[in-house]
Amino acid sequence: MTVACAVPSLAERVLEHARLRPSAPALISRGRPVDYAELADLVLDARQRLQSLGGQGPIGLLARKSPQAIALILACLLARRPVFVPSPDLAADVLERLFARAGCSHILIPGEPAAEASETAAVPRPGQDGGADVALMLTTSGSTGDPKIVPLALEALDRFTAWAGQHFSITHETTVLSYAPLNFDLCVLDIWTTLSHGGTVALVEHDRATDARHMLELLAAAQVEVVQGVPMLYRLLSDAAGKDDRRVDSVRHVLVTGDSIAPSALAALAALFPRARFHNVYGCTETNDSFVSEIDLRAVAARGEIPIGEPLPGVSALIVAAAGDVVDGPGEGELWVATPFQTAGYADASLNAGKFAPHPQALDGRTYFRTGDTVRRHEDGSITLCGRSDSLVKVRGVRVSTQAVEQALLEHEAVVEVAVLAIPDALAGRRLHAVVRRHEASHLDSLVLRRHCAGRLDRAAVPSQIEIVTHPLPKTPTGKVDRRRSIHNTQRRSAP
Amino acid sequence: MIDHTPAIKQFIVEEFMPDVPVEQLDSDYDLLDGAVIDSLGLLQVIAWIEDTFDLALDDAEIGPDNFRSVEAMQAFIAQSKN
Repeated sequence: MTVACAVPSLAERVLEHARLRPSAPALISRGRPVDYAELADLVLDARQRLQSLGGQGPIGLLARKSPQAIALILACLLARRPVFVPSPDLAADVLERLFARAGCSHILIPGEPAAEASETAAVPRPGQDGGADVALMLTTSGSTGDPKIVPLALEALDRFTAWAGQHFSITHETTVLSYAPLNFDLCVLDIWTTLSHGGTVALVEHDRATDARHMLELLAAAQVEVVQGVPMLYRLLSDAAGKDDRRVDSVRHVLVTGDSIAPSALAALAALFPRARFHNVYGCTETNDSFVSEIDLRAVAARGEIPIGEPLPGVSALIVAAAGDVVDGPGEGELWVATPFQTAGYADASLNAGKFAPHPQALDGRTYFRTGDTVRRHEDGSITLCGRSDSLVKVRGVRVSTQAVEQALLEHEAVVEVAVLAIPDALAGRRLHAVVRRHEASHLDSLVLRRHCAGRLDRAAVPSQIEIVTHPLPKTPTGKVDRRRSIHNTQRRSAP
Repeated sequence: MIDHTPAIKQFIVEEFMPDVPVEQLDSDYDLLDGAVIDSLGLLQVIAWIEDTFDLALDDAEIGPDNFRSVEAMQAFIAQSKN
């Protein structure tokens, strides 16, 4: 149990910064600075609201990024009440199931009266590592069905913010851009690490997230020093900056995460941020970041790929071959990681099987997360990503299972068979392409199928392209749909 | 006020759902909730409106709601032209 810690935790630290430097800016929101005193007031107001609700159970937060939403999360941390933050874009029935699964007693929407959760299911199980307190619950997409709830302990968050603050020199004088939505694990660095160190978070709000000019102005006006984002963000920024030859000199660290970035895109970034160091960050919601490497621009140009780098302090990483042996030298296998920042398991413990496991040879007592990523260790010891072991891909920073997308499409009554493939895309990194064979007698079209998907899948998981055919899809020797040939065939057919 | 609805529909159908006949797309159909247009699609729509209607949109308040339906886009273009 954690009662009074010697080192103050995240929310306490924010209040401490408010006491020491009340007029220092904590957030920049819609062009307006919110200082630490004002943020502390919002946190204390929110705590009062929590107290008036009563109960001890987890709180569900349905909100876009805003100072009020950030204050609500801090108030929950302060009150030691777990807070569950799902994507507000999920369909209403999915949200309802998730709130129940997370055991939320109340659902809060900033500025609106609290809603009682419709029914309460199991409270998140206490962690395996000594019953750590759950502080924050995020989601990650499952291979089938609803997103999985990932409970993170306060201690795990504090360990991460301590590491990240030190590694990227985030202090009370640092301004960090927050691009990712509030429900993304990236916020643990952008928002929570920065606030924990008394720095300033420049918020990119949901409705400005595609406005590259606005973001460039924000970077310059707020003198942002640290930027973390998926390749799509960087592509947007460098495209907009390239038009009028803009540069942002204040940025010291650029963190690329979520997907692999093309070497050409890196070169454009180097022109936009001439004084920055570039870092490739590898992590999962379940473990938070586990590898980081500083990108050597010249080496990348020569090699054409970016190694995932070195394990962070306290991280243990294994490459496990298909047969279950640990690969010690050069070779390929699934990446297993154990980090000081990881979850103790999904809220629904029945999902842990096959995802969390002990060391294959029982060489240590740690619980490893099986990332599902296939990696290769080269002769020189460097590790590079080969791809997902199964059908998991990242689309615009969101982990998507092509299998789950296929399942969702197959649930439509007029669909006979489907093939979904992630295709490299210059702008998006990857986009999903679906080929759907419909019943000949049906009048199924993509408008109907998209509506069907919208109720079942995360927005990023709805394929960018849906092609509807009536001919049978090509099969593999084992009788399964051959995805590559299916998509190659329709592309060739539709070519002019 | 010029009615740009047919041109907008034509663009949306060609770009995002080439298998659907234009007449099947209702002007008030919610393109965001219906997963026809995602965040990347939104960028394409904005770029097309800027090019086609000769608008510089960075000065305007652009929000996803302006592009939620063909109707909304028509209203947005008309308003931005003034």
